[in-house]
Amino acid sequence: MVQPLALISLDVLDLCDSQSKTNGQTMALTDGETLVVEESSRAVTIAHQIRTMSLLRPEKVAMREKDFGIWQEYTWEKTWDLVHTAAHGLLALGVDVGDRVSIQSENRPEWLILDFATVAVRGITVGFYPTNPTAEVEYLLTDCGSILHLAEDQEQVDRVLEIDSSKIAGVRKILYCEPRGVQQYDDERLLAWDDFLAIGLEHRLAHEHAVEDRMDQAHVDDVMTLVYTSGTTGPPKGAMLTHANVAYCMSYFDDAGLRGGRAPSNDDVQVCYLPLCHVAERIFSTFHAAHIGLTLNFAESIDTVQENLREVQPTLFFAVPRIWEKLHAGVMIKGADASAFKRLWLGFGFFLAGVIGRDKVANGGLHTFRSRLLAAIGYPLVFRALKERLGLRRCWYAGSGAAPIAPEILEFFMGIGVPVYELYGMTENSAIATANFPGRLKLGTVGEPLGQNRPEFGFRIDEETGEIQVKHPGVFAGYWNKPEQTAETFTDDGWLMTGDVGEWVEGTHVRLVDRIKHIIITSGGKNISPSEIENSLKTSPYVKEAMVIGDRRKFLSALIGIELDTVGDWALRKNIPYTTYRDLSEKPEVLELIQGVIKETNEKFARVEEVKRFRMIPKELDHEDGELTATQKIKRSSMEEMFNELIEEMYV
Amino acid sequence: MRGRPNLYTSYEAESQLMPTRTKKVVLGLFLVVAVLMPFDLPIIDQLPVVRFLGDNVWLRLVNRALCFMIAALGLNILSGLAGQISLGHTFFGGVGAYTAVLMGGKASSNLWGWGLPMWLWLPAAGVVAAAVGIAVAPAAVRVRGLYLGIVTLGLVFIGLHLSRVFPEIAGPGALGRKWPRMELRLWKEDEPFLDFSRDGHWLWFDINKNQKTYLFLLVVVIVMAWMAANLARSRTGRALQAIRDRDVAAEIMGVPEYRYKTTAFAISSFYAGIGGALFASLSVQLPPEQWSLIGAVTFIAALLIGGMGRVSGVLMGSFFVVTSHRFVEEIVDWMKHQAEEGGVFSGFFDFLISTGQGDGGFVSVMETALGYPLPVSALDEIIYGLLIIFFLLFEPLGLYGIWIKIRNYWKGWPFSY
Repeated sequence: MVQPLALISLDVLDLCDSQSKTNGQTMALTDGETLVVEESSRAVTIAHQIRTMSLLRPEKVAMREKDFGIWQEYTWEKTWDLVHTAAHGLLALGVDVGDRVSIQSENRPEWLILDFATVAVRGITVGFYPTNPTAEVEYLLTDCGSILHLAEDQEQVDRVLEIDSSKIAGVRKILYCEPRGVQQYDDERLLAWDDFLAIGLEHRLAHEHAVEDRMDQAHVDDVMTLVYTSGTTGPPKGAMLTHANVAYCMSYFDDAGLRGGRAPSNDDVQVCYLPLCHVAERIFSTFHAAHIGLTLNFAESIDTVQENLREVQPTLFFAVPRIWEKLHAGVMIKGADASAFKRLWLGFGFFLAGVIGRDKVANGGLHTFRSRLLAAIGYPLVFRALKERLGLRRCWYAGSGAAPIAPEILEFFMGIGVPVYELYGMTENSAIATANFPGRLKLGTVGEPLGQNRPEFGFRIDEETGEIQVKHPGVFAGYWNKPEQTAETFTDDGWLMTGDVGEWVEGTHVRLVDRIKHIIITSGGKNISPSEIENSLKTSPYVKEAMVIGDRRKFLSALIGIELDTVGDWALRKNIPYTTYRDLSEKPEVLELIQGVIKETNEKFARVEEVKRFRMIPKELDHEDGELTATQKIKRSSMEEMFNELIEEMYV
Repeated sequence: MRGRPNLYTSYEAESQLMPTRTKKVVLGLFLVVAVLMPFDLPIIDQLPVVRFLGDNVWLRLVNRALCFMIAALGLNILSGLAGQISLGHTFFGGVGAYTAVLMGGKASSNLWGWGLPMWLWLPAAGVVAAAVGIAVAPAAVRVRGLYLGIVTLGLVFIGLHLSRVFPEIAGPGALGRKWPRMELRLWKEDEPFLDFSRDGHWLWFDINKNQKTYLFLLVVVIVMAWMAANLARSRTGRALQAIRDRDVAAEIMGVPEYRYKTTAFAISSFYAGIGGALFASLSVQLPPEQWSLIGAVTFIAALLIGGMGRVSGVLMGSFFVVTSHRFVEEIVDWMKHQAEEGGVFSGFFDFLISTGQGDGGFVSVMETALGYPLPVSALDEIIYGLLIIFFLLFEPLGLYGIWIKIRNYWKGWPFSY
């Protein structure tokens, strides 16, 4: 690649320093000339921040991607150069202010480059899940009205080409990164990534300042990205996040108080592996990288996360409960398979971890004298090696969010010395709502409202419905093309209705109860939160999916899906032969095992909340089959439809 | 990225010989011990195994092991890397040795010798052996497996025959002739400026000839081992390993089999030539029968016991093979003392050891003919044979394999995989 670095005039450098010092809103720069604009109109976009990084730390590594066994590095200088060229490419393809650019790809540098480039030309980035099937891709493409689409490889390209081109007439070009299999396709819309960059380079040489001029006109209220919500109820809705929303979200990154007196720095390392179209990974990886300048490492795929974690040893880590559970289950299974001496040794380690974990949890997440002493003993003996194997040895802050997590799991990770804190937020409020802080952690809650000392931050729990409502500059601008639904999400006085029912714990912490829409009212008239029961069931390593049913019925029942890995391992140890998933779930021994789990759960709840009957789900739930959302949450309506017979059977 | 040993950002980093600081430190410490070993030192002398190497008898044996290592490194390239059996490795050692004696030896009425200095005869020994290797390669490359073994076996007998045809080089009769010493001089008759084969005085220390020879050989071994380890991770090394794993597949992938097999023979013979020349020089005088089949089999034994394909394995195996009989003798000697001096277990040792005529026991400390009780030398051979059987059956990767198992045990900690 030619690197026309000279195009970035270097006297921007000292301006950038001043820019980073003046905290944002007013600076914009071109060619050594400072444009001081009025407060709250010109935005310092994420693209500006990338450019700043490329000038402050040109040689520092911004991204790593594993290719043929080697982690290929992208420095900040190279990253900005690619973003700049790609942005020119977008200009050359006629992307105008406010045009949508959609991306359906696994996490890879091109995702970020196109994202940043789109922001630089004031377009709107829309991320799709790589698992979105054709029908959903069609819906998303038409709903957002994308004019340029990036499809990672042949699989993703096929999905777009399958759609009747008249329905998505707005899509002018389909970019692709992996040419294998796509090169033979004869479709005028296809354009390879490298050719796209070549077009961009040509444009860049002809119009030196086009991108930077466009970039500097960005307005804080410009929509930066559409984030499609997972849609457990209706079709996905595109939440519009503006530059102001994102800037507000990023203002929390520097707040050391949130992470126990330490703010992330550019020495930090992250693994980027959750879908980038989800707001959590977006914030935790790309926004962090742009704002702080840390290094992102792209996992090869979701299956290799464990291995990649071991290689990269990230210092910051965010995972959904599913991943934490998998890591925990992996430790347990491997531990059980270890040789006798190692098992004994590990048992001792787990014992220490249990004591340390309980001590720390009781102390708000901080060490007590006893736990510090035990940790000093346990670290050289077990924890160091264990954390190294997990890839979390250097991790000083980890988050869990997007779904409730079992307290036992958090306690375990606390015990071995990986500080995991549960967070709560949603797309519609740029994920700024509550968090557990080191020193004030309370297990079973999602923590305290974030903006404690910020006047603009509003958080309340509606007294009548128990719904959590927030109001702050991070609250989104509305759903794309859905003014009615947008209006429905706001109260009359302008607060965002999250749709989550919560309650105060000791007046400071918030405990989530359930989604408002999920609350079950039994025929006896009792209000029951199914999620609480489901989560309690799912704390068992053998239960992967649980869905509690009972709306307008006499008693509660449940559909249970087993975790193939752990139950399979359990069956192997018990010498129970099985063939398929269905066969295994219907074994009488397995039914007995699950019966035990249900009994255990029932003991924790009141009589009316007891699960009286259950049935096994005969298949592994899947996004493609419409049972799960892209984020692996159960779609209740379609589940009730699909397993209607099983459900009715229980109420006969 | 520091502290992240598995994060490779380039292929160079991935194939580094010394990827971690721990490895560098351990190797450094090992080298320090290796250098200090032959000297009388206040603290190191107290260590049990290390001290007896200061003993001259032991040191001479270790020096032989060092020469053996050089040649074994060569066979490892041919057999361990390229997967070609050779029973004729001693032949190439002999070629090197007789090149050395022809170039460096003194001429007399019935002996040839040009009296050239070591800086000429030592490299020449390797180069001539390599040339012979290249000359032999066309015949060897055409056959595989057992047949290749037979072809290379033939070389040993050709070598023995040639030594009788040319008594001017090999020396008359069973005694052989005297080899040039290990000493560095500028030209034929000059005073040597560095002499490894006589007692002397270096800096402020008295140093005997064995210690000098040891240090010289140690340097040669380190250089040769380093080159061999580097070869294994080079383009050539990868090509050789591809041929070893499946020669047809390698050829299809574009690895020219003929050329690389020839290269392997050449490099292997070069090592053998150097090792042979040094060994002969160390031994002062050798009969041609020294370069026989037994020697060739010993090389293979060293590879099997140490572990094929790994430099560290070869070094361990060679050391073990050359010095094992001394260990057996020491142990038997120790048992004899135990039996004679009395003690808790004296009865047990007395039962095992025959201390003289009429005394019962399995092993005799007297020099007796083969029979019952066994002489120590026979016991040594039996143990040696049993070891080869043991390694072939239970630990095909050799001593190196045992090390791998130990390492993996800790690598997997606290799990088993």
